[in-house]
Amino acid sequence: MRRPPQTLTILALAGLMFALAACAQLRALPSLPASHPEELATGPVSCAECHEDQQKGTLKAFAAFNHSRAFIANHRFYAATDDILCATCHKVSFCADCHTNQTEIKPATKNGNRPDRFLPHRGDFLTLHKIEGKLDPASCYRCHGRANNERCVACHR
Amino acid sequence: MKKVLTRLLAAATLLALPAAALAETSVDSTSLLRFYQESRAGSESKNFVPLTQFLTLDADKLGDGHLSAHLYGWGRLDLAEHYVAPGQAESSMDGRLSYGYLQYRFDAANAQARAGRFFVHEGIVNEQLDGVSARTDLPYGFGVSAFGGATVHTSFIPGEGTDGKGDGLFGGRFNYRYGGLLELGLSGVYETKAPVLADPALAGRFGDHRLLGGDLWLSPHYMVQLMGHASYNTETLGMAEQSYRLQVKPLKGLLLAGEFNEYHDRDMFYSSALFATLLNGNNLNQLSRTLGGSANYALNDQLEASADYKHYSRDLGSAERLGAELRYNLPEGKLRAGAGYHYLRTSPEFAIIPSSDASGSFHELRLFAMRDTKSLFGSLDLIDYLFRKEVEGKRSAWELAGSLGCHLTPDLALSGDLSYGGNPQYNDEMKGLLRLTYSTKIAGKGDAK
Repeated sequence: MRRPPQTLTILALAGLMFALAACAQLRALPSLPASHPEELATGPVSCAECHEDQQKGTLKAFAAFNHSRAFIANHRFYAATDDILCATCHKVSFCADCHTNQTEIKPATKNGNRPDRFLPHRGDFLTLHKIEGKLDPASCYRCHGRANNERCVACHR
Repeated sequence: MKKVLTRLLAAATLLALPAAALAETSVDSTSLLRFYQESRAGSESKNFVPLTQFLTLDADKLGDGHLSAHLYGWGRLDLAEHYVAPGQAESSMDGRLSYGYLQYRFDAANAQARAGRFFVHEGIVNEQLDGVSARTDLPYGFGVSAFGGATVHTSFIPGEGTDGKGDGLFGGRFNYRYGGLLELGLSGVYETKAPVLADPALAGRFGDHRLLGGDLWLSPHYMVQLMGHASYNTETLGMAEQSYRLQVKPLKGLLLAGEFNEYHDRDMFYSSALFATLLNGNNLNQLSRTLGGSANYALNDQLEASADYKHYSRDLGSAERLGAELRYNLPEGKLRAGAGYHYLRTSPEFAIIPSSDASGSFHELRLFAMRDTKSLFGSLDLIDYLFRKEVEGKRSAWELAGSLGCHLTPDLALSGDLSYGGNPQYNDEMKGLLRLTYSTKIAGKGDAK
């Protein structure tokens, strides 16, 4: 049965009003700044030193993002849900030092002048990986799983 | 088609560069000159002198101020012997574009759109693609993101003529947040059909890359955080991964944490042409579990101590790792130092060559310090692995690395690294490199800087 043109018009108008109302609501939602308004000191930061309140955008307490050793070691949980907050201070290339495909040099060599950074595979990891790889292959998979790094496939095929 | 798309995306990014001159632009460049010699029994010694250039370019506030362009990649020129990757033609040059994309940020709702080559880290999704993505917060605490495009192919598996990936990639995440209390997310990734690999041993072990997952963040009290994620492989119909972490801050500066991780090898490695081959025999569902705990205590703004313990259990055997670390940081990076000790105790099955009297256990010692002044900077880093049972006749693998550099200008620095050590691979190993870094920010017309 064909619907009368008036019904379609009313439905279209209702849809348009709903879309406009949704857009109006979105325009009222706050956004994080594209970059941190003040230059920060180098090294791990403590967000809660200056920010006492809860963030508007991500609705999580700033203190949750203090860069303690525990935070850095487990940053995957935060980066997977709040990368837009990470981007206010970190360039994507900071992440891509480790999280990349087909990189030329291992991160610990590229940044050999920064022993304070938590960069993987320091020292003779060629020997160590024969133990660590059997122990926890999922930890290898996170970075090397589908990257087919040339140095991996040289032996593991 | 894929090559054309990649070139178009790179060209689009490069076309944006002249506009970058009018915007707020930052350039980071790292040039590395390495020298090393490979000498193997039965073959001639080879000298390698690769010159590698990493370049990052970020141009913000383009156009109406909401558009930005981002580029990062590397190129290598071999000045002596050429490194030939398995299955690839000999060439004195190589390079990759890691990412190159345009981004548009809207004024509200943390909304943004990207086009080009970029990485996606959303929930359980970790991918690199040539395509488009968009995200926005929605009213009432909801949020949504989506992406789609062409897969970025990596090195081919020797003998297969493919990297094992499908050509198209789609996915996204839908989330809900309630105050500072709760976040729940649902995410997924769908890759088009994976190529058929010639290796008959991969039957039942390798296939399409399709995952669904959820993530959780819960903070019922400001002292407590529970976070985690789980992924489900829709091809193998099994849970691939579950990871959960509980953190408690009972005192200022003290953080206690417990974590649990579980993996099923077949479900997790199913879409990796490389890892699928590593599954042992016919035991396709090897289970890995880790259970651990840690304590971190910030004694003051400069000093942080931590201790950790983790128990590993696999079908193969079990192991545990425990240790502690101390870190000292002066503001502005003037002095940073650290010391750490860990011990890994494993059952004999984790030894490099398993046998009843073999061991994969080792002690790990680390000491480092770095100092940065207005004109000079330097670091020393010692790492030593002491094996409980000899590995290839060696009781340890150690390396002492030093770096010394100077700030030629506030933006330009020259440094050199030299390391020396001994390990089961080499009686002694010496490596060196020269590093030139340039990092600057150019503010455009009208900018406050």
